[in-house]
Amino acid sequence: MGFIRFVAFAVVRAWQGFWRNAMMSLAATATVVLMLVLLSGLFIVIGGLNSGLSFIESKVGVTARLRDGLTDSQVQNLVADVRKIPGVKTVDYVSPAEAMNRLKQAYEERGETLNLGGASITLYASLEIGLTTPDMGAQVSQALSGRDEVAQITTRQLDYAKLLNIIGVIRTVGIAALVLVGLTVLFMIVNMIRIAVYSRAGEIEIMRLVGASDSFIRWPFILEGILCGLLGSLVTIVLVAVVWDPIQPIMVRVFQMPTAVSSQFLAVLSALVLGVGLGVGALGSWISVRSNLASAN
Amino acid sequence: MIGVIERPAAAPPPVGEPVIGMVDVGMTYPNGKAALVDVNVSIPAGDFVFLVGPSGAGKTTFIRLVIREQLPTAGRVTVAGYDLARLRRGQVPTLRRRIGIVFQDFRLLPSKTVFENVAFALEVTGTPRSEIKRRVPQLLSLVGLHEHDDHLPNQLSGGEQQRAAIARALVHDPAMLIADEPTGNLDPVTSWELIQLLIQINAMGTTVLMATHNQEIVNAMRRRVLALEQGTLVRDEAGAAYEREY
Ligand SMILES: Nc1ncnc2c1ncn2[C@@H]1O[C@H](COP(=O)(O)OP(=O)(O)OP(=O)(O)O)[C@@H](O)[C@H]1O
Ligand SMILES: [Mg+2]
Repeated sequence: MGFIRFVAFAVVRAWQGFWRNAMMSLAATATVVLMLVLLSGLFIVIGGLNSGLSFIESKVGVTARLRDGLTDSQVQNLVADVRKIPGVKTVDYVSPAEAMNRLKQAYEERGETLNLGGASITLYASLEIGLTTPDMGAQVSQALSGRDEVAQITTRQLDYAKLLNIIGVIRTVGIAALVLVGLTVLFMIVNMIRIAVYSRAGEIEIMRLVGASDSFIRWPFILEGILCGLLGSLVTIVLVAVVWDPIQPIMVRVFQMPTAVSSQFLAVLSALVLGVGLGVGALGSWISVRSNLASAN
Repeated sequence: MIGVIERPAAAPPPVGEPVIGMVDVGMTYPNGKAALVDVNVSIPAGDFVFLVGPSGAGKTTFIRLVIREQLPTAGRVTVAGYDLARLRRGQVPTLRRRIGIVFQDFRLLPSKTVFENVAFALEVTGTPRSEIKRRVPQLLSLVGLHEHDDHLPNQLSGGEQQRAAIARALVHDPAMLIADEPTGNLDPVTSWELIQLLIQINAMGTTVLMATHNQEIVNAMRRRVLALEQGTLVRDEAGAAYEREY
């Protein structure tokens, strides 16, 4: 009972305090929104790039085109040897017939039919080699190049390194920007609470004299900062939800894969925004209360 | 630290102990000013005490030590059974609820009505609303302000404002009421009305300690007088006058 009364008291006072200096509070809230929008943007872009990365990662590998006319046992020997090369995770033999099937399927997916004009062609057999890590490509091709069963070696990993670089840069720049904006937000909230404390100096003095406990004196200010973070989070979540659908096609186009559009993504992002918003609000007001509300009674 | 709500547990003061006790108390401010020197005082429950002395003698400092706004730099202060030097920070609110205090400048919150000013003191100490509704009118009629409960402080006379401050000081039924020059801003007639109220409160069992420059009142009342001069307690006399009479 007493605790509920305390919470009610603190929440009401925090609410009153927030609106008492509305300009200041709303300015602080706006910086919170700015920070959280930046955070969301970064989260979306890095999330998109990462899923692009794992898509490419799954495609990274080495293809070894085989010489014509190998016997089954020659192929089996080769596969067994390739499996032993360090860095090789999987080895799949693609027969000429299967290669043809894939080609047909690829045409069908584009809504066309493969028309060879009656000619019969034979595709090459190949080994599709998956790697333990994407950067093993060069080493594996090196090892393969000595085998005379192999006619030609192709590696696909150029995009991977490029994308990895881009993600690295975006992450670094983004986090640096976030830290700067975050410090601004902290400064705004610390200041907002400082002014709130001073505008209530008379009340605080009376509270101390009549024997109010520290909790009653401090929590309203802490909650005022948390309220600022909460409002900022809610505004940001609404903003992100509103632009979410329109940006989907763009994301799919930019990152080239639909995996960026995970249904959980928005929920995780909202939780992150809420957590960071509340956290920064609480931290700012806590710092301010610690330095502006003398703890001696 | 910001702890969770702490509910100060009121330990009753041991029977027979003075409400205020000072043993060899000294108070030297950080700037080197010795505001109190070797003060020894014992004030039993129910006493009515005037604290007198010229400006700068240390009266307000004395009061600051009693309400534990400051700790003495020497000696021991006990209040309502608490040794103030040993009081944990979380217990200070408990002590403060045993003491009511009023000042020369009233210190009412200007944007709150008389009722709200008194209610505030209960609210911020976690009192249930029903209790507040019951208690505030009682206190306001005790000080004779029940018809002014919806007035703002600036709509009241000085005497009425001081009564409102007294009502607020009494919300927790304190063991003592401390007044630092309560009549300093009041005309003589109003001052006398206020003293009548303090006498009435004292008669109900509350110890009263009043710092004052008001010679007329001290001389007429003939109560116990503590006189400070440059921080030293130069006189502690029952039934006394403002000035030394011998
Ligand atoms: N915070 C402080 N820091 C330094 N010196 C102080 C402080 N407060 C009071 N003093 C000094 O201590 C001495 C006693 O001051 P105090 O306020 O206790 O006197 P007082 O008897 O209440 O005077 P008055 O009748 O004018 O209210 C004075 O010399 C004063 O200047
Ligand atoms: Mg004084």
